Amino acid sequence: MRKVIVLLVAVALFAAACGDDEQEAATTTTAAPAPETTAAAVPETTAAPTTTAEAAPEPVQLTVLAEDIPSGLDYDGPSAAIPTSQTGMVNLQENLVYYKSAGANSEGVGLLDFGFSDEHFEGRLAESWSFDEASLTWTFNLREGVVGCDGATFDADDVLYTFARAKSVSGAAPIGWFLSNVGSIDGFTVDVFADPAAQALGDTITKVDDHTVTIRQAAPNKLFLPVLTIFGLAIFDKETMEANATDEDPWSHDYANNVNLPSFGPYCLESWEKDSQFVVAANPDYYRGAPAIDRIVYRKVPETSNRLAAILSGDAQLVERLTPREFDSLSGNADVTVAGVQGNDNLFVHMNFATPPFDNLSVRKAVAHAINYDEIIRVGYFGNATKWEGQIPSSYPGYHRSDIQYDYDPDRARELLAEAGYTDDGAILLSYVAEKEAILGPIATLIQADLAAVGMNVQLDPLPQTQYGDRQLVKKDLQFALNDQEKPIGVDAGYATLLFFVSTEAGGLNNMVNFTSPEVDGLFGQLVNEADEAARNAMLAEVQDILADQVTWLPVVERTTQWAFSSSISGLVWHPDNSVRWYDLSVG
Amino acid sequence: MPWAYIGKRLMVAFLQLLGITVAVFFLIRVLPADPVARLVGFNASDEVYNQAKASLGLDQPVMKQFGLYFGFFPSEQAGLLQGDLGRSWVTNENVLDEIIRFFPVTLELITISFIVATLLALPLGMISAIRPNGVVDRGVFVYGLMAGAQPEFWWGLLFIYVFFVLLGWAPAPLGQLGALTEAPETVTGFLTVDSLIAGNWGVFLEALAHLWLPVMTLVLILSGPIIKMIRQNMLRVLESDFILYASSAGLPSRTIAAYTFRAAFAPALTLVGILYGFMLGGAVLVEKVFSLGGLGQYSIRSILQFDYPAIQGVVLVITAFSLLIYLALDVFHAWMDPRIRT
Repeated sequence: MRKVIVLLVAVALFAAACGDDEQEAATTTTAAPAPETTAAAVPETTAAPTTTAEAAPEPVQLTVLAEDIPSGLDYDGPSAAIPTSQTGMVNLQENLVYYKSAGANSEGVGLLDFGFSDEHFEGRLAESWSFDEASLTWTFNLREGVVGCDGATFDADDVLYTFARAKSVSGAAPIGWFLSNVGSIDGFTVDVFADPAAQALGDTITKVDDHTVTIRQAAPNKLFLPVLTIFGLAIFDKETMEANATDEDPWSHDYANNVNLPSFGPYCLESWEKDSQFVVAANPDYYRGAPAIDRIVYRKVPETSNRLAAILSGDAQLVERLTPREFDSLSGNADVTVAGVQGNDNLFVHMNFATPPFDNLSVRKAVAHAINYDEIIRVGYFGNATKWEGQIPSSYPGYHRSDIQYDYDPDRARELLAEAGYTDDGAILLSYVAEKEAILGPIATLIQADLAAVGMNVQLDPLPQTQYGDRQLVKKDLQFALNDQEKPIGVDAGYATLLFFVSTEAGGLNNMVNFTSPEVDGLFGQLVNEADEAARNAMLAEVQDILADQVTWLPVVERTTQWAFSSSISGLVWHPDNSVRWYDLSVG
Repeated sequence: MPWAYIGKRLMVAFLQLLGITVAVFFLIRVLPADPVARLVGFNASDEVYNQAKASLGLDQPVMKQFGLYFGFFPSEQAGLLQGDLGRSWVTNENVLDEIIRFFPVTLELITISFIVATLLALPLGMISAIRPNGVVDRGVFVYGLMAGAQPEFWWGLLFIYVFFVLLGWAPAPLGQLGALTEAPETVTGFLTVDSLIAGNWGVFLEALAHLWLPVMTLVLILSGPIIKMIRQNMLRVLESDFILYASSAGLPSRTIAAYTFRAAFAPALTLVGILYGFMLGGAVLVEKVFSLGGLGQYSIRSILQFDYPAIQGVVLVITAFSLLIYLALDVFHAWMDPRIRT
C-alpha cells in the first residue's frame, strides 16, 4: 500500500511538471492548418487490392514506398531536382508529346523508343504535329475534349500559359525556361534574366485557334521534341492556375508548389501531408482511359530495411531504391518481383583535370587500368551492373562504344604511373556522397585497395550531399571522386555532351572535371545546327572517342535501376527520369 | 509564487535565445556547402543557378540577409520581429506551419515515452535502493548495462525484426497510421488526442499500435539513467540525518517514505526535464527507424539540404521549448527550496 501511494504521488508530480508543456503544444498546434489538401473526391478505400466487396468491386489501391514523398510540385520551384518530387509531378501532369513504347526487356520492364525524329514520338496533349523547315516552325494540333482534375478543358491557352510562365523565369529554379533554351525555342535566351521586356511570350509561340498552336525554333535543333517530353515542360491547367494566382505570385508558384499541380494527367491529388504521405486518385476523365489503379498511397519510409520488410509482409505493393544487397535478398521470393532495366543509372570515377596528379593523362589511364571492374559488379552491385564502356548512357541515342577501352590490368597501371613519374606525395582523397555510404562505401573501399596495389595512396572522404554538390557544381575542386548521380534528363548523347564535357567557356553546364577540348567544343557547336541524324551521330562518335582517349570520366559500371513489387503487378515501364508512372501499372 | 525570480529567469532565457539565434544564423553560413546547387540540381545553366541564388536572397550581403531574417526591413520582407520564420527552401512552405505540423508528432512520442519510463523507473529505482543487491537491484544493474550498450536505432531495428517480421505483433513501421486509414481532423496535432476528440476509437487504437514499438525503444533507453538517479538519491536520502532522526523518533513508515520520496524525486525530475528537452531533437533516429515524421526528421532533412530558414526555425523552437522546460524546473526547485531564490 505504501508503495502504491508513493507511486501515485510520483505520477501526480510528473503530470504537474508536464502539464505546462502539453498545454503549450496544444495551444500552438490548434492554429495549424489542416495538412491535407483535398483536390478531388474519391470513394473511400478500406481494403487491400485483392479484396472484393459484395456489391461492387472494391477500388484497387496500391501502397508505394520511397525514401521521401514530393516536397513540392512546381517544376520551376525549389523541389524540382528531387527525384521523389518529380514522381509526384509526372503522375499528375501531362506533356504535349511523349516517346512511343518499345516493348519490354527480359525482366518485363517496358522500354521507350528514344530518338529525335517524328516516328519515335506519340501525341499526348498534342494529337499531331508538323514542322516547316523553312521557318523552323512547329504546328501542333491539340487534342479536344481533354478534361483536367478540376474540370477545366484543355486548349491552346493552356499551352501558351505554360510557355509564358516558363519565360517569365519567375520560379526559384526556372527549369521550364532552361529546357526551352536547350530545345532552341526562339526567344528563350539568357536575355530574359536581364531584360524584363524579353520575358514576354512574344510571337514565337502563337495560338492559331483553340486547338492549334505554333512554336518557332531559333535553330534546327534536334532536341526540340525530346525536351517536350520532360516533366519540366508539362502543360498546366491555366484556368485553375490563374484562379489561384495572387498579386505577389501571379504565376501561382506557391499554389503549384504547396497545394496542387493542376494539369491534365492520369491522377488527381487527393491528400498531401508533406514529409509523410501523398495520395492520388484516378482521374476518371483521363483522355487515355481511366487508370487501372484507382488510388495510390505514396508514403515516406526513410529506412530501406523497413521498405524491404513492408514489401515482404504485403503492407506495400511497390518499393523504390533499396540497396543492391536488399534487392538481391528478394530473389526467389514468389510473392515479390524484382525487375530492373539498364537505363541511365551509372557509376564513374571523377578525376579533376585541374588538380595534380590527375592533370596527367598517364595517371588517369593508370587508374583506369588499376580498377577491378568485375569485383565492383560482384561485391558492390551483386551482379546487377555491367561494365560501362562509354561516357554516355548506352540506352541513349547517339551513344557510341569507342574502340578505346580500359580493362583491369594492374601491371599496365604500374607502367603508366612510372611513365608519369608518379610519386606518393601524401594520400589522395576519394570523395563520395556520405548519404550513400551503404552503396558507395564498399565500392570506394575496393577502389582504395586496387589503387594501393599499384602504389597509389588513397584515403576515403565521404561528404554530405550538399557539400559534395557545392564542390562539384560550383567550386569544381573535387580532386578525385565517385559519382553515381549523373543522369542527363535530355535523352541524347548531344545533350549529355553539353551538360558534362563542353568547356564552361563554350557554354558547358556541369563540366565538373574542368575538361577543355577545342575539338569537343567545336563539334558540339556544329551539332546544334545539324538536322541530319546520321551526320549528327558521326560527330557524336568523334566526341566520344576523344572523351575515351582522354579518360575525361572513368566510366565504371552501368547499374540496373530496380524496383520490387507485388507479383500481381504488371506493366511497369522505365522512364528516363526514373519515376514510375502509376498509370502504366495494372493488378492481376 | 516567486514572480521576481521567474521574471529574472525569463530575461536570461530571452538573452540566451537571442544569442543562439544570432550564432546559428552566422554559423550555418560559414559551412562549406551550397544550398543553391541542391536546389537547381546538376543539369542547370549559370543563369538558372544565379536566378535560384537570387530567389533565396543569397545574392544579398550577409548583414542584409540578417536584417531581413530578424525583420528589420518589414517593408521588404517579414521576419522574426513580425513572427515570421521564413519559407523553407525545399518545400517553399512557411517554416512555422511546418514546425507546427511536425512538433506534435515528436512531443507525443517522447511525452508518452517519458511517462512510461518514469512510471517504470520509480518503483524499480526505489526497490533497488530499499533492497540493495536484491533481485530487482541486480536485474536493474544488468538492464542498465544492456540498454546502454547499443544505440536506440539498433534497438528499434531489432524490435521491428522481432515484433513485426517474426512475431507479427506490431504493424509495419510505416508511420503513425496504416496506409488505408484516414487520419482524424487535426485539432491538437497529437494523433491519439485528435482521434479521441473525433470519437474514433479505431484510429486511436491503431495510433497506439503504431506507437508502442517506438515508445518501447525510447523507454528502454531513457529509463536506465532515471532508475539509476532515483536509486542513488534514495540511497543518499535514506542514510541522511533527517531520515535517521525520523526513524528514531518513531514516525510511521508511510510518513518516512513520503519524506524520502520528496527529497529523492527532485533531482530525478531535473534529469527527466533535461532528457525531455534533449529528446526533442534527439529522437531523430527512432523517428527515422519507425518512419515518424517528427521534428527530429525535419531537422535532419533541413540540415542535409542546407535549408537555412528551416534550420534556423527548428533551432529557435527547440531552444525556446528547452528553455521553458528548464525554467519550469527552476521554478519547481525554487518552490521546493527557498534557498535557491536568493
